[in-house]
Amino acid sequence: MEENDVPTYASLTPANPTIINGYAGIDLQSGQLTTQQTVMNDSDQTVVNQMNMVNTVAVANVGTGMQTVSAPPMTPVVSSPVVTQQSTPEPCTEAPVESTPVERNTLIAVLQFLKKNNFKSTEDQLRQDSNFFEDVEDSKAGIGGDAEVSSVLSAYKNEGDPAEYYDAYMSLQAFVEKSLDAYKHEVSLVLYPVFVHMYLELVYNGHEEVSKAFLQKLGPLQEDYYQEDVHKLSLVTSRDHMTGYQIMDNFRSSQFTIRMSRDTYSHLKRYLTERGTGPVPRIVHDRLCLELYEGVPRTRSQVLASAGAQEGEAAKQFNKIKVFYGLLKEPELPNLAMEEEEGEEEGDKPKKKKPKKDSLQKSKKNDPNAPPINRIPLPELRDIDKLEKAKAFRDQMKRITLNKDTLPSICFYTFLNASGNITTIDITDDSSILAYGTADSQIRIQSITPGKLRCMKTSEQLSDIDKDADDVLVRMMDDRTAEPVRTLLGHSGPVYSCCFSPDRNLLLTAGEDGTIRLWSLQTWTCLVVYKGHVFAVWDVVFSPHGYYFASGGHDRTGRLWATDHHQPLRIFAGHFSDVDVVQFHPNSNYVATGSSDRSIRIWDNHHGNCVRVFTGHKDSIYCLAFSPCGRFLASAGSDKRIIVWDMAQSSMVTEMVSHTSTIYTISFSRDGNILASGGLDNCVKLWDFGRVLEDNHEDDINITHSADVKREDSLLLGSFPTKSTPILATHFTRRNVLLVSGPFEG
Amino acid sequence: MSEDILLSSLTFPTESVKVIAESIGISPLGDDVSKELAEEATFRLKVLIQDGMKFMHHGKRKRFCTSDFDHVLKMKNVEPLYGLHSIEHIPFRFASGGGRELHFIEDKELEINDMVSAPTPRLPLQIAIKPHWLAIEGIQPTIPENPPPINKDTQKKDAVDPAAKLSAQDTKDQKHIHGRGMKSIETVKVKQLATHELSAEQQLYYKEITEACVGSDEPKRGEALHSLAFDPGLHQMVPRLCTFIAEGIRVNVVQKNLALLIYLMRMAKALLDNQTLYLEKYMHELVPSVMTCIVSRQLCMKPDMDNHWALRDFAARLISQICKNYNTTTNGLQTRITRVFSRCLNTDRTPLSSVYGAVAGLSELGSEVAKVFVLPKLRALSDKIEQCMEGTNAYDKNAAAHIKGLLLKTVAPVLKTLRNPPDSVADYKMEFGYLGPQLQMAVVKARQAPPPPTTTLAAPIRAIAPTATRIIQQGTMSSMGGIGPRTVVVNKPSSSGMSSQQPGQKVIIMTSRPATPSQTVTTETVGGVVKTSVVSAGSSGASNLTTVTVNPSTLGGSIAGQISQAALASSTISQGGSQKPTKYLVVTGSNGPIKTEVKEETEPNLQPPMDIS
Repeated sequence: MEENDVPTYASLTPANPTIINGYAGIDLQSGQLTTQQTVMNDSDQTVVNQMNMVNTVAVANVGTGMQTVSAPPMTPVVSSPVVTQQSTPEPCTEAPVESTPVERNTLIAVLQFLKKNNFKSTEDQLRQDSNFFEDVEDSKAGIGGDAEVSSVLSAYKNEGDPAEYYDAYMSLQAFVEKSLDAYKHEVSLVLYPVFVHMYLELVYNGHEEVSKAFLQKLGPLQEDYYQEDVHKLSLVTSRDHMTGYQIMDNFRSSQFTIRMSRDTYSHLKRYLTERGTGPVPRIVHDRLCLELYEGVPRTRSQVLASAGAQEGEAAKQFNKIKVFYGLLKEPELPNLAMEEEEGEEEGDKPKKKKPKKDSLQKSKKNDPNAPPINRIPLPELRDIDKLEKAKAFRDQMKRITLNKDTLPSICFYTFLNASGNITTIDITDDSSILAYGTADSQIRIQSITPGKLRCMKTSEQLSDIDKDADDVLVRMMDDRTAEPVRTLLGHSGPVYSCCFSPDRNLLLTAGEDGTIRLWSLQTWTCLVVYKGHVFAVWDVVFSPHGYYFASGGHDRTGRLWATDHHQPLRIFAGHFSDVDVVQFHPNSNYVATGSSDRSIRIWDNHHGNCVRVFTGHKDSIYCLAFSPCGRFLASAGSDKRIIVWDMAQSSMVTEMVSHTSTIYTISFSRDGNILASGGLDNCVKLWDFGRVLEDNHEDDINITHSADVKREDSLLLGSFPTKSTPILATHFTRRNVLLVSGPFEG
Repeated sequence: MSEDILLSSLTFPTESVKVIAESIGISPLGDDVSKELAEEATFRLKVLIQDGMKFMHHGKRKRFCTSDFDHVLKMKNVEPLYGLHSIEHIPFRFASGGGRELHFIEDKELEINDMVSAPTPRLPLQIAIKPHWLAIEGIQPTIPENPPPINKDTQKKDAVDPAAKLSAQDTKDQKHIHGRGMKSIETVKVKQLATHELSAEQQLYYKEITEACVGSDEPKRGEALHSLAFDPGLHQMVPRLCTFIAEGIRVNVVQKNLALLIYLMRMAKALLDNQTLYLEKYMHELVPSVMTCIVSRQLCMKPDMDNHWALRDFAARLISQICKNYNTTTNGLQTRITRVFSRCLNTDRTPLSSVYGAVAGLSELGSEVAKVFVLPKLRALSDKIEQCMEGTNAYDKNAAAHIKGLLLKTVAPVLKTLRNPPDSVADYKMEFGYLGPQLQMAVVKARQAPPPPTTTLAAPIRAIAPTATRIIQQGTMSSMGGIGPRTVVVNKPSSSGMSSQQPGQKVIIMTSRPATPSQTVTTETVGGVVKTSVVSAGSSGASNLTTVTVNPSTLGGSIAGQISQAALASSTISQGGSQKPTKYLVVTGSNGPIKTEVKEETEPNLQPPMDIS
């Protein structure tokens, strides 16, 4: 393979060996920013945006005006990309993350960007901060810029005979067909990327008719889950179309990763050597990242399980980084004893108290997999939080333990007169308030308990209150303003996500207008508008500890924010398409993002790096949920399947298939034994997650590569259809009653 | 797949580009230019739609709407198309002319004054949240908010093709055995006779509902009927409820208890109205019950006082509802029902109350049925009415008046369409005799006014003399019934209701046992339809009227389903003179095999019994 050196193609590949994949996304965005600038009058904001794009984030400069939490926020850092792309022709099995050169290169790239855009002061600041005073040449060869785009595209320039492509592909296919069954399935992975790049070369070189025929003949032969991409590709019929089209950008700027066993590789290599020079060896050489492993080649089902993402498979070395998936130690609650006494007053028998204590002690024990408590600064518990925790604890004591014999009760909140209008629903952790966003940019908050929604008194009235009174919190609120429903207006487009803070005093919403808004649920006003995302924001979620929140949007980035900073603390760039869903790990140290590029990434909030990439979904991912134990992640989306991932082993644990339409919500029961899911097929389904855990413990094999993924429909415990009401939200109360909600489409 | 290819090959037509260019004043647009533009437009549009899909997905919708397109335009930094919001589907119009074909969207010019003066549109309804239990500890309660546990399609499939369930179960069982990797342990499933048990709650529900339906508390009855008509998940109790209705009708026809008959009919109506039930399995109980209430000779103790006409009207509407919902080519429901009615009209000695029922039933089945079956009989009916009106019997007079009223109401719209104006009294008189002039008036009136909606004519007029109602059959058919051969009788396979004009042809028999010795059953299959003719061999030439009544009503629900079709048409009738002794074929079979016996009764002045229970 290395013998077939075709310099024109390889040397121009955009895959900069040191730069994060995510830059692919970024350089597109910065290209578009110039137009964005004309739209937004607020040029300051644009500057901010641009800076965000490159992960520089000079948040240190920004005054932290409204520090409400005593804990210091994380020091903003440059999110150094962890991904090192293999530019070496020999596919390697190991790639130690070289931290220093990577950071240096990133720094250079950032400085280039700043220089190019004339951000002099920021540049100086950065140089000072990082003690980096080398000269940076202009970003001609670097990232961004139109020159870059054209050079990338010229990689497709080739004088080859267009007719040769079809034959070459057919020969490759024949080779795959004739391969031994052992190798066949792994080798077949090569077909799709080769097909794509052949087509793009044809298009780039202007062989319109040939390319059309090529696609028509071979497109339908690709795997089912690639058909959508093939369809998208089929739109590209001329060289002009190749710039600024998302899927194109992905293909041209990244290498398609394929994992195969060493045996399979040598098998493939023999074939490629035989072919000599031709489009197939060249493309395999330049465009594919072959990751080898020792061992037995995988079977078809194993190959299928992890295939499907736009970037190919996840390279193994991504997923080797240790993840602290354990839960944080529960803080001491001094008033717990008091609470227990109260419990006794309520009539709890002393017998029941024993297991109480045990479970209490258990949660106090240190989890070996837990991150240090101060790994990221967390807000200190206020009195009100402690009260809340105690209340939650009491509820927890009364919780029913669910298993396959004791299924939960499901309460369905149906929205009437709202067909096609409801876009997002969230329920507070204590299940007392429900918020929903509508397509006509309203946010409405409704109490689903007898408790009414009250407004805080005016400042004059507040000053009259005795601050030492026990019921000061109650006195603060004005009883005359009690209402069951309240409306918040502010967004200028559909609201795509809303999320309550854990203390129920704040609400975050995000929408099509690209802003995230923080609302106070005491004064019922908007507190902050976070402008950072360039386009629509699809999802926003509060950290389980409050203070931090994460968002994801059409600009292909996930972002980590703190409520008192109007700039993001971290930008998670790396996805190849929209970030459709974000979710916090229960210990607040990690954020998981799911994307339309059909992969899931887990990011470390501490340094902003991607620590896991999971591939295997065959379509966009719309919901994520961490198991209460913190080790497992469940994901689901348009491909109608729920996949459970193991954070510790970085592997797929199981796949649950039964839904017949897009899944929009999944959630774990509080004890982690049941997984509930729902979506557009108007059906709530319950899955036996307890058994997944059991099986997993039983096996406990050291999965080096492809585990045999169990696809069991026997995990399905129950299926509860509704009357033409899609399910948009599932939520387990603290006592394990399942609350489900959706708009009636009658 | 094929759709994908179709979509990817869709392109923006060059003609459209030219038309658009023309509309903005660039008239000569070269072919190559327009081709280039069309290709570009295709690409841009498809990209926009692809990205717009994201907005659709995040809006949690299955349908792409105009606002999605606006948002994606905004995202691409293109000015959105303002004012193109539409909640409803906009039809794409087509026009051709001048050698060109055009698709366009109708864009009417609106008068601003009209818009200003128009009343403001109604505010959209406020979004409301309504909670209910989707499941309680893993069990879905059958409340109106939840979908029925077994949907109508499944019930229908079950009724039409019971074998499908069996095979599905088989494969499941096999799969189970394989999956276990067990050595071949063959389990033979013995199906219990009574596999169907109601839970305690269901039994209580059944008790409450039936008591309320026939009790004296009217509001409670209303609630009970509402529950029957709207509650999902009744399917388990349907066999019991149908049996209740059938038994009740049988007993109360004998007792001539009009009130109870009405209650039971309302119950049947409620069940038929329930959208979650598919009742084909229970037609064998419902149809005879309803038919009884239409054509029975006597339905109440005091026919001169009580308004049994309303019950007949009500039941007639029910039967038409049944026909509409459950008539299939296999069960030939409408054919059989029509046949029963038209036989009533064809027999001279049918009591007037039965004639009324038959006319009501036929006319409810639609104008086409009325045209074919009622119109030819109009003259004869007219004579009969005249005879009764001029007679001295007050009952007869009253009944004749009812029939007259009914005929005028139902026949006039039919005549209106058949005859051309002018309507001369003489013509009508000649053709229809006594009723002629009134019919003429009614037709003229009908021509002037739009046809009124059919309403129940419930005039409290006295009825005619009672004649003995005959309930012939008692007893039950055991589960053996399902084993006997089924004979499905269809005279003419495809034409429903039109075929049975000649009296001699009308022989329907459907038993679950081999035919009685006195009958010869010939079966032939024509085009997938089993055609069986039963020839009554009682007395050759002038055979007697024979009624076979099969009553499987006391069977358990699951078994009732099996024999439903077999027992559906429960009347075998042949034509004969009234002087001859009437033969009754009585089928009994309580707890044992069915016994069939032929009873002969000789009554000198016998009216042919019309009752079908």
